[in-house]
Amino acid sequence: MNISLDIWTWISALLTLFIFSFLYGDNPFYKFAEHIFVGVSVGYTIAITWHNFLYPDLIIPLFKQGNLINLIPAFLGILYFSVFFKNLSWMIRIPIGFVLGYGSGVAIPAIFQANIIRQIQGSLLTPKLLERTDLLIASIISLFGIVCTIIYFFFSREQKGVSKIMAKCGIIFLMIGFGASFGFTVMARVSLLLGRLQFLLRDWLGLIR
Amino acid sequence: MKFLELLTKIPRRIIFLILAIFVIFPLFKPLNLTTKVSIRTYDLFKAIDNLNGEKPVLISIDFDPQSMPELYPMYLSILRHCFAKNIPVIVLGLWITGVGIGEEGLKLIAKEYNKEYGKDYIFLGWKPGITAVILGLGRSLKETFPTDYYKNPLENLPLAQKVETYKDIPFMVSISAGSPGYGDWIAYAQTRYGVKIGAGVTAVSAADAYPYLQSGQLTGLLSGLKGASEYEYLVEKYGYSKAFKSATQLMDSQSFAHLIIMILVIIGNIGYFLLRRKR
Repeated sequence: MNISLDIWTWISALLTLFIFSFLYGDNPFYKFAEHIFVGVSVGYTIAITWHNFLYPDLIIPLFKQGNLINLIPAFLGILYFSVFFKNLSWMIRIPIGFVLGYGSGVAIPAIFQANIIRQIQGSLLTPKLLERTDLLIASIISLFGIVCTIIYFFFSREQKGVSKIMAKCGIIFLMIGFGASFGFTVMARVSLLLGRLQFLLRDWLGLIR
Repeated sequence: MKFLELLTKIPRRIIFLILAIFVIFPLFKPLNLTTKVSIRTYDLFKAIDNLNGEKPVLISIDFDPQSMPELYPMYLSILRHCFAKNIPVIVLGLWITGVGIGEEGLKLIAKEYNKEYGKDYIFLGWKPGITAVILGLGRSLKETFPTDYYKNPLENLPLAQKVETYKDIPFMVSISAGSPGYGDWIAYAQTRYGVKIGAGVTAVSAADAYPYLQSGQLTGLLSGLKGASEYEYLVEKYGYSKAFKSATQLMDSQSFAHLIIMILVIIGNIGYFLLRRKR
């Protein structure tokens, strides 16, 4: 046993135990750790935003280099605070309009290309797939699953005959998908628990190597 | 009847206790279960391994301390792999709360391999405006990040002289806990500039990342703690590191936990169906 003598390891370990105490029930120790977490996160975010962005990208160019063009984004940013004044709150629509316009303009073609066009291309059976049997089989199953799942969500016509059978296959594919997601979620949550246990048993208490 | 009812109503605290016992036990008595490397992990490993070291790898820290157990070991292993092969590294982050983690890991591994700041690695830190940052790197690195995290002008750093845009970055890895993350790099850097991308993701988001492998938008994928453990194994197997494998240490416990959860799910279902039949 080789207990850590580092004060920060002790603070970290105690806060971890406070959070774990929620497993038994809500209590003041848990609340204390939760509030510290929120406070530290906000403080850290403000500090990084100032040092990594506001100071080098706005303050220096504006006041030390005289780049007056930076007044425009600064003014738009300040307009976000108009929400705190009842008679000026309408002005928040201006920066939001810019963000929405820019965001949509940039995102729509890129997301459409990445998540729809390329995904359709990826679902097609191409001659290249014939080179490897395992890939070919996986691709055929994948393509069949996509078609069945889309048919399941096709509500414009009554599902009967072949379309009903395919829709039922679509449900099976969906269930397999949900099962895989659930399995991955379990894996992720257990990993987080293990990470903390490793910290407590190794870094704090020195019980394991 | 009472026993069947009990099967469906095991108190959650008992479940927590059982799980705790079964995950702690392998930490003290490792079973050393074998690691089977998936093709997805191997693809990412090979993508980095095939680089000649002339141009840097870009690593994006798209996670925060909450996902550290899964993603931090991936980050350290990838850094070890790059530094052992003398591949320069540029690190930045899309998550503001990931900046500290990125810096800590980079300093730690750079010291392990005696790497020099500015020549072998650069830490750019974080900037707001995810799409603006990703698209900006496609136009000019120095315009997007005039200075690094430590306020050094990029034009003074030798490594930054080698990089103008994405065309000078042969491979990038997004270590991602969600959004913003690998999805944004695919949408803006891969689709628009053709950047070759690999991803390390939390197990929760792994299922969402798989379609990008099939379409060739991702070159390789590390999924959760298992992916981290596989990468640690490869880095050691190929002689790049003999460091402690923190993800691998947890894999026995992970396997035990999965077994217990599967048994509990089966018990719960048996109880439910038998109870329904009796009614």
